[in-house]
Amino acid sequence: MIATGQDGTKKKYRSQKGAAITSLVIHYVVLTILALIWVIPILWIILNAFRGDAPNSVSGDFFPKSVGVEAFHLLFTKSYYGVDFAFLRWFANTLIVAVVDCVISTILVLSVAYCMSKLRFKMRKPFMNLTMILGLFPGFMSMIAIYFLLKSIGLSGQTGPNAWLNVVGLCLAYSAGAGMGYQVAKGFFDVIPSALVESAKLDGCSNFKIFWKIMLPLSKPIIIYTALMSFTGPWMDFIFAKVIIGNGAPEMWTVSVGLYNMMFGGQADASLFTEFAAGCVCVGIPIVTLFMFMQKYYVEGVTAGAVKG
Amino acid sequence: MADLKLSHIYKVYENGHKAVNDFCIDIQDKEFIVFVGPSGCGKSTTLRMIAGLETITAGDLFIGDTLVNDMEPKDRDIAMVFQNYALYPHMTVYENMAFGLRNRHMPEEEIKERVLEAARILDITDYLPRKPKAMSGGQRQRVALGRAIVRNPKVFLLDEPLSNLDAKLRAAMRTEITKLHKRLQTTFIYVTHDQVEAMTMGTRIVVMKLGYVQQIDTPMTLYNKPYNKFVAGFIGTPQMNFFDVKLNREGDIVNVLLPDGSMLPLPYEKVSKIHDSYIHGEKDVIFGIRPEHISIVEEETGVKAVVTAVERLGNESIIYGDLGTSVGEFTMADQGKAVIIKTVQDVTLEPGTIINLKVNENKVHFFDKETEITLMLEVPEYSSFPLKKEGGKLEMLGGNVPVNPVFEAGLADGEYEAEIPPSAIVPGKQFSLKVQEIEEVSGGRRLAYLSYDNRYLFAFVDESVKKGASYSFDVKFDKIAVLKGGEKVMEPIGEKECLTGSFKRVAVNRNYDFYYGLAGADIAAPAANGYKINAVEGDKCYKKTYKYEFERAKIAIAEEGLPASVEEILDYGAKKYARLAVGAEKILIDADEGELAGEVKLAIAGEDIEVWQMESDFRIC
Repeated sequence: MIATGQDGTKKKYRSQKGAAITSLVIHYVVLTILALIWVIPILWIILNAFRGDAPNSVSGDFFPKSVGVEAFHLLFTKSYYGVDFAFLRWFANTLIVAVVDCVISTILVLSVAYCMSKLRFKMRKPFMNLTMILGLFPGFMSMIAIYFLLKSIGLSGQTGPNAWLNVVGLCLAYSAGAGMGYQVAKGFFDVIPSALVESAKLDGCSNFKIFWKIMLPLSKPIIIYTALMSFTGPWMDFIFAKVIIGNGAPEMWTVSVGLYNMMFGGQADASLFTEFAAGCVCVGIPIVTLFMFMQKYYVEGVTAGAVKG
Repeated sequence: MADLKLSHIYKVYENGHKAVNDFCIDIQDKEFIVFVGPSGCGKSTTLRMIAGLETITAGDLFIGDTLVNDMEPKDRDIAMVFQNYALYPHMTVYENMAFGLRNRHMPEEEIKERVLEAARILDITDYLPRKPKAMSGGQRQRVALGRAIVRNPKVFLLDEPLSNLDAKLRAAMRTEITKLHKRLQTTFIYVTHDQVEAMTMGTRIVVMKLGYVQQIDTPMTLYNKPYNKFVAGFIGTPQMNFFDVKLNREGDIVNVLLPDGSMLPLPYEKVSKIHDSYIHGEKDVIFGIRPEHISIVEEETGVKAVVTAVERLGNESIIYGDLGTSVGEFTMADQGKAVIIKTVQDVTLEPGTIINLKVNENKVHFFDKETEITLMLEVPEYSSFPLKKEGGKLEMLGGNVPVNPVFEAGLADGEYEAEIPPSAIVPGKQFSLKVQEIEEVSGGRRLAYLSYDNRYLFAFVDESVKKGASYSFDVKFDKIAVLKGGEKVMEPIGEKECLTGSFKRVAVNRNYDFYYGLAGADIAAPAANGYKINAVEGDKCYKKTYKYEFERAKIAIAEEGLPASVEEILDYGAKKYARLAVGAEKILIDADEGELAGEVKLAIAGEDIEVWQMESDFRIC
């Protein structure tokens, strides 16, 4: 593009519109490639779950020749590892662990966050620094220690009628350290004016009452965010479940352990692949549903404390 | 409804920063007290200490007769209105107002009655079912007030409640709050940085700066008799004009040498309280005059200014100018000549016009350049007069008296300057001067202007002394300072003495006894003070040294007590003191009765001792 200046000189400029279009095209191409890489495995699993043509093997075809729900039927009715309705039991176990963790963790996280945000006590800052440093280490570093600790008190490695204790141990392992992840909730509480807390104090509230009657009603987004996070953590976790529950009692496995064993365990069988894929889809359904309904709060929770407002 | 007493309140943070210093005030029931000052002056901190939201480092806070230092906020029977209203967003207006009462388990019927009554007073009855977010700023502020009213508290605390409102609403709410105070007949403490709010609402105003109280007075006294330059500049809009000047007395006229070189002549009578040393053109002085006390006149006054800008506000005009007849190059920097004039005249001045200024002589202010404290204190600290010692006589104030032994020993024959405070003048017969004027000053006292050598000696006199008569008096020589060539050669004797020492605790039957460990003896400390020192300082208090201060009049000679040895007797004629060595320190005690010599024992009651923390220099108890 050529423009004429006030003094009559002509200068060459790049068209702003043209540059914008070029930039957009490049962006979209890169993003599409990334999206395909990310989506293809998921899509492949979903397609396999609904495969009607070759239900008993890993198929080389990406798209199924026919569509059916036979894999789901088998998954819900078949016995695996000698356990009747194994998938439903695993599903129930996972649900119990996730719900228990969700409740305990949410209470712990919010309580710790409130204390750190609104109370002032001597070791507050050192404690916050310590939790931040500890949080930098990956969780599974403590896995072996947790395994041996739980085992020593009989909450791991149990078989037979006491196998349910493994699930209790798992719940404990997930929720015990939950308070350490208080930072996001603290960010949210920080934005709630301290004057509200002080006003409630003058109105005769104890700290617990302030937390219960003032802070919590104002913190819906962060409660939902914290609950979602504490639910999805154990729901999708494999490594802790595998270590703590072990292989001893198949009826007490969680979904992830069960599905893993279907493909790679002692009785692993490539013919179970479509059932495995159907299991994966089933695992995804509650999470997807939850996120779809709670999306609004989730976004509010994630961005809480990011901008002071 | 209650009195409030703040006694030597300090707030010192862990990093040593002193947010509030030695805050003392007695607030009467039903007073409207305003704390005013710029950001960071400690006004909100003080309010929050009263509310119980901040701990008090040292000092005592009484609400009514109860010491509330360690009382929970909810038990103090106070209500607070916050700057950002602090309404609970998830509750309706009704629930907001009822929340505090419900926490106190009040019957629902009574709660309803109180909320409706408060809503009626504040005209928010229609909004009771609404949530705060559905209301405007002004309405929210009323709800915040309502929440306080329903509690029927002893004291209302308001922390900058109008700062979030727009100017028009603020003015309206200002009147509303004043009316509310009249109606509720309760003590109000109001914090603001807006001097207009302070002046219009307060019965008394506390002006603060950097944690220190600058002045506590009624609005008009603050306006008319500011204690220092800060108060003078803070109160009044536009702010007071300040100029660096020198004062020069010529007969009955004191010439003010303005920065542009012009002279402003003032009658000496108007500035007679300024100490003599300031009116001989040697010391730098700040001259203050409010914009409304300068007028523009037609006739020549000797003081001229060039108009630089004019703001016409309709009812009044504000004229900005520079002293002198020439305008320098434009700069934002203060040249020290800028003058602001406020006038109700309808002016048609244009920038560049040269105007004649006339200053209201009754409204001038002068401040010391260094300390910025007013030179026109209601009661001058002291007046200076020549003193001559010769042949066993002291000549001063037109009379002479025999030299007292202390002056005989401390001063060689020669000429000196004596600084005589009003408190050093007592009825007697040594001297006699004419009473030129008598002024009623605060505290119901009468201040007499005793004329000598064309200036005044100030003295407090009783009803029997009349203007124009002559007044016979004695001078307490122990209370005056003597100077030679500007250096003090004789210090006046104060009322207090101090010693340093340790602080001790002894466990007795599951309880503790506390002692002030002074040189050679322990003085039993009141238990309350002992616990307070421990609470303020922690356990390190037993390893630290404290300053113990007490009035001299409280020291007695006794059989048992602090060992001391008499070093010398100071005989001022009418008054005698004994200088004692207590350990390595020296103190003075009254020695009017009996002969004191050798070793003595001193008795000081623990209750009479004030304890000062030495590192941050604050009074603990």
